[in-house]
Amino acid sequence: MTPDNVVVLEGVTKRFATHTAVSDLSLVVPRGSIYGLLGPNGAGKTTTIRMILSIIVPDEGAITLFGATDSGRDVSGRIGYLPEERGLYRKMRVGDLLVFLAETKGITRGVARAEARRWLEQLGLGAWEHQKLDALSKGMQQKVQFISTVLHRPDLVILDEAFAGLDPVNAQVMKDTVVSLARSGTTVVFSTHVMEHAEKLCDAICIIARGRKIVDGRLADVRRGHGGRHVIVAVEQGVGSAERVLTDRALVAKADTYGQYAELEVAPGADPHRILEALLAAGSRVTRFEIAEPTLHKIFIDKVGADTASALANPGGDHA
Amino acid sequence: MRKMWVVIRREFVERVRTKWFIISTVLGPLLMVAFVAVPLIMARKGAQERVIGVIDATSTEFGRRLAASLDRAPPIKASWLPTPVAEIEQAADSLAVLIGAKVVDGFMIVSDEAVDDGKLEYRGSNVSSPRDMQILSTLVEEAVFTERLGRAGVDAALVRQAKIPLQLRTLKVAGARTTASSGEGSFILAYVIWLLLYMGILLYGVNVMGSVVEEKTSRIVEVLISSLKPFQLLAGKIIGVGGVGLFQFAIWGLCGAVLIDRRELVFRLLGESVPGGSTAAFPEVPLATVAVFLLYFLLGYFLYAAMFAAVGAMTSSEAEARQAANFVVMLLVLPSVLMIGILNDPDGTMAIALSIVPFTSPIAMPVRWAAAEVPATEIMSSLGALAAALLAVTWVASRIYRVGILAYGKRPGLRDLVRWVRTA
Repeated sequence: MTPDNVVVLEGVTKRFATHTAVSDLSLVVPRGSIYGLLGPNGAGKTTTIRMILSIIVPDEGAITLFGATDSGRDVSGRIGYLPEERGLYRKMRVGDLLVFLAETKGITRGVARAEARRWLEQLGLGAWEHQKLDALSKGMQQKVQFISTVLHRPDLVILDEAFAGLDPVNAQVMKDTVVSLARSGTTVVFSTHVMEHAEKLCDAICIIARGRKIVDGRLADVRRGHGGRHVIVAVEQGVGSAERVLTDRALVAKADTYGQYAELEVAPGADPHRILEALLAAGSRVTRFEIAEPTLHKIFIDKVGADTASALANPGGDHA
Repeated sequence: MRKMWVVIRREFVERVRTKWFIISTVLGPLLMVAFVAVPLIMARKGAQERVIGVIDATSTEFGRRLAASLDRAPPIKASWLPTPVAEIEQAADSLAVLIGAKVVDGFMIVSDEAVDDGKLEYRGSNVSSPRDMQILSTLVEEAVFTERLGRAGVDAALVRQAKIPLQLRTLKVAGARTTASSGEGSFILAYVIWLLLYMGILLYGVNVMGSVVEEKTSRIVEVLISSLKPFQLLAGKIIGVGGVGLFQFAIWGLCGAVLIDRRELVFRLLGESVPGGSTAAFPEVPLATVAVFLLYFLLGYFLYAAMFAAVGAMTSSEAEARQAANFVVMLLVLPSVLMIGILNDPDGTMAIALSIVPFTSPIAMPVRWAAAEVPATEIMSSLGALAAALLAVTWVASRIYRVGILAYGKRPGLRDLVRWVRTA
């Protein structure tokens, strides 16, 4: 029997010596979904993932995996885990390493050997099976680590900061992989601090900050639930030139400006078209005007406050 | 259990495959032979000819007889130089020139005082060699002794008979049975046992530490801990690395046994005559000694490997780990530093204490066992203490390990460690 929810957290809390990493966190990961665990650095994402995997034990609360209370380690054969910090035994041969890691998941030697070979062929690493990992480029090592995550055909794949440190090409490969895993029925949980990734991929999300849940649920529901009407505007001279309109509280309740564009929350009772008129009247050459649902980014900033979100506003070039 | 086996096999196979293992397996015995053989060879080489002059200023020509008896002893060539008392310093000066030219090694000045008061003088370039001086003083003492007896009217034949040198043959009694091992043989055995235990425990213990640090720095430990219990990983690692040690000992033991079995052939190949009966260089190794050795190696290795693993888990780089491991290494070095003391007096208080205290007993007890009879009660209490310490240390170490492998950044202080052990 496969339950509808693969991962359920209820009131999970984890305290460390100096701070509380995760506080009273509850979330539900539906089967077959792509689930995004979102939040700035230090929000408690990795701690949450480690608790799901029973690498560390929560102080309070309950974690249910595949509908049972067996620990993550007991069902580790059904879980694939790619940690944030990548790394493997550098002195081991690629084939032996994959077989060893699969064996720790309970796969027998023969099967593991055959699967490893199949995967290596598939990702163009067939010739490297008997080479030491040292001899591989960093990109190839990442591929090997990815193989080790999925070789045992897990039902649940957990990717911590899946896109961190990937160049745009590899980031695209990773996105495609996540989608194809989900299509084959695998549940994927990934954490990221880059909202754009989550926006494109996720069926459901949970945003956490400072160890506390901000909002969770299906992505569409989260957006709808955030309420308010939103407008995205871009002005040829830059949105700074429309300062007067954007600060007009009769029209705009709140404006987040990013230089090239701004995301506005329309003031209660105001008509979005009045904003456009005001902009044109002020002499702005409008290049974009879109009445939209709030972006995850916007939701996050509204819920958490700009200071906490500063890590998100500047996600860093390599995470784009 | 199955998962632990997977870890054991990886640790074992990956190590046995390395060049390091092959080199150390081949070089280990060579080094050990060198350790034992080099001093012996040096001793033989040191016995080169010493040319000595005897300046005889006696009225009785005692110097002639002394020179003759020195000349009879193999490494020394002595010549008699009768000199009037007034010209002693003159003769000494010209001999000193010869010493400078390395024609002569030294010279003895003998006057009538020699026999009367036992006062002689030796000047030479080799006075700082204790071995040379010991040979010389023994020979001179003998000659003076003979001279005095002769003067007292003792018959020359009687003196010759009294001078027949002593030949003390030493045989080790073990297990209420006289073995074929000589005293020198059991000393060598104890020495080899010490070397194997010390090097074995240290090298393989440090190996475990390196393995922990490698998994920690490469961060693979996080993946491993998601499918293995920390204790499974730790125990598998220690057992796997220990297996490599036992495997290496087995190879050495087998080669050693074959070598001892065929020792006549070996001696013939080395161009040596076969000494009568068993030889000093090849002590008899009773099965009980092998058993004691293996038992203490395993327990000692587990004890130290657990400590090394905890140290590895506390630190985040190989270099840092080596520094932090100094404390553990000190514990291991202690019985080695005191080894000569143990061998000189295997039943003394220090030897007994060191062989019962858990952290020194893995080395001290087998060394003592090889050197002397150890009462069963002492073996029992030593093993009991060691087992208790092993349990306690493993308990603490595995808790430090469990927390440490996931902790990065600043090295924990003592207070942090206590908290780790409490909360793990």
